Amino acid sequence: MIKIENLHVEVDGNKILNGINLEVKAGETHAIMGPNGSGKSTLAQVLAGHEDYDVTEGNVEYLGKDLLDMDVDERACEGIFLAFQYPVELPGVNNTYFLKSALNAQRKYHGESEIDAMEFMELIGDKIKLLNLKESLLKRPVNDGFSGGEKKRNEIFQMAVLEPKLALLDETDSGLDIDALRVVAGGVNAMRSNENATIVVTHYQRLLNYIVPDFVHVLVDGRIINSGDKNLALELEEKGYDKIIEEAAG
Amino acid sequence: MESFVKAFRNTLKSPEDGIESLRTEAFEEFSKTGVPNSRHEYWKFSDPSVILNLDLKLNESLDNIDEDYDLILCNGKISKNKTKGRTGSISEGIKKGDISERVLEVNGNPFINLNSAFAINGCYINLERNSTNNLKILNLITNNEEIEQAVYPKLVIVAEENSNTTILEEFRISGKGTNFVNSAMNIFMAQGANLEHIILDDYADDTYHIANIGVEQKKDSNYVSHNFSIGKKFARRDFNIKLTETGANCDLNGIYFASNKEHIDHHTTIEHMQNNCTSNEHYKGILDGKAIAVFNGRIHVHPDAQKTDAIQSNQNLLLSDDAIIHTKPELEIYADDVKCTHGATVGQLDEKAMFYLKTRGLNQNDAKRLLMRAYVGEIIQKISDDNIRKQMMEIVVDKLPKGTND
Repeated sequence: MIKIENLHVEVDGNKILNGINLEVKAGETHAIMGPNGSGKSTLAQVLAGHEDYDVTEGNVEYLGKDLLDMDVDERACEGIFLAFQYPVELPGVNNTYFLKSALNAQRKYHGESEIDAMEFMELIGDKIKLLNLKESLLKRPVNDGFSGGEKKRNEIFQMAVLEPKLALLDETDSGLDIDALRVVAGGVNAMRSNENATIVVTHYQRLLNYIVPDFVHVLVDGRIINSGDKNLALELEEKGYDKIIEEAAG
Repeated sequence: MESFVKAFRNTLKSPEDGIESLRTEAFEEFSKTGVPNSRHEYWKFSDPSVILNLDLKLNESLDNIDEDYDLILCNGKISKNKTKGRTGSISEGIKKGDISERVLEVNGNPFINLNSAFAINGCYINLERNSTNNLKILNLITNNEEIEQAVYPKLVIVAEENSNTTILEEFRISGKGTNFVNSAMNIFMAQGANLEHIILDDYADDTYHIANIGVEQKKDSNYVSHNFSIGKKFARRDFNIKLTETGANCDLNGIYFASNKEHIDHHTTIEHMQNNCTSNEHYKGILDGKAIAVFNGRIHVHPDAQKTDAIQSNQNLLLSDDAIIHTKPELEIYADDVKCTHGATVGQLDEKAMFYLKTRGLNQNDAKRLLMRAYVGEIIQKISDDNIRKQMMEIVVDKLPKGTND
């Protein structure tokens, strides 16, 4: 689905990613783990198309296309979804109106007609139950005055409505209590299929107890220094990042 | 000046209307002061003296337009009037004693004097005690001959005790040519009267619009205006609100758009003259291209106006690097037990919000419009009538500036 080759990224002249190689196939879930400042979030932001990051080298192929050549909205319409670490508050933008606009923008991109009002209400009714969100949140401005947990659930709710091919979850577990974590993971798991893929960016292993990855990669100083299966995450949790970094260097 | 003098003399040739002397006084005062220019403090950023270069003819033509309005003023003259109760032209109102001669008295503002001088037409409406009214008013300016013309609409509203009224007032221009529209409105609100006034200026033609709205409020009266100035070449609207008795409240809400080289100016003055009055002002602008906007919000708290509560806020969104906003709060407070707050902001569209929207599939233009819609929505949602609110939302969103910096 996505093939990242020798990806180098800078922000304001500072090197953040120094040659990332990663391939994710449909049906797979990959976890990117790493200490703070290792470049995990940068990777997610770059794939989503954030303009503050300069790609200085390498390429990314997504569904046979050159991803780096695509605008942010084009990537979204082609099925890339970024669940934000810090979801943005949009005062005055009604949550339902926002979701409908997003969904219709994507439908329009694919040459489909706008969604029928009834059909839309049914769709969001189904998905909101999945994320255990209060219906009243639909009438409120996007993320405005939401609790930390509500914001994260709202991200996954949007993802459930937009049904992306490649989901990028950026520190989705941060700020979640254990119950909310279960709900969010449940939502993500319910969407997993052979058609789509997920990249989970996380600092802690605990999310991976609920969203079980097929592959785990350890990112340090902008490079993947170690890859393995879900057991690598457990090893990391036990030994700590320093030990793994040492072993990789040795 | 010559074109004004000539046009004024012509008005004296018409059959007598009983207010010639008042009109003449107003015109003499205007002749003394002339048209202000940027050397005057209150006209520093908006120089109206450009109109002196125009060969202005008074448009007295009257087209019979029958649209779904209760009152249509065509070039300032009554073209249709289906309002209930006492109503008629300004001169009739003064003759009958329904309105005071004060509506024509000499004023410190030259444009009000100029408007009064040409108040041969105009209209007054008396809103009866305890009545409930919904009025749709159209100020139609026609310019069939495509000339340089002047129009002086004058409207007087007398809201009697405990009357409850919604007025939707639109300014519309049909035909090409250059228009100088100098409108004036006087609103008198008796005790307990309630008036919600929605104003829509919607023309991007070659128009100079100078508008003055004066409101005098008695005890416990409530005046709420929603002012939508969404596009014209040169425009200035002044509100002069006098809260003359205890318990009066006014809300001034507004949205203004300006693009290209348009110029838009709002000067508001709220006089808190007695105790326990409240005022709440919220204006938001979106500026694009090389547009210039001015917002000057004056709050004057008189010595007797203890327990005043006045709030003022002016926010501006700049879509281009070349747009300019001059924003200035002006507080004069002569009482000690008062609460006055004011704030002004100038900013751009939030980059983080734009990125967020784009990651959901909205393109640059749609994302921008969604954010601007939310921005203006904050003001529009203050309209209490559901239908008017929806109608204004549609019209305003349709007129959102495009943003020239992409």
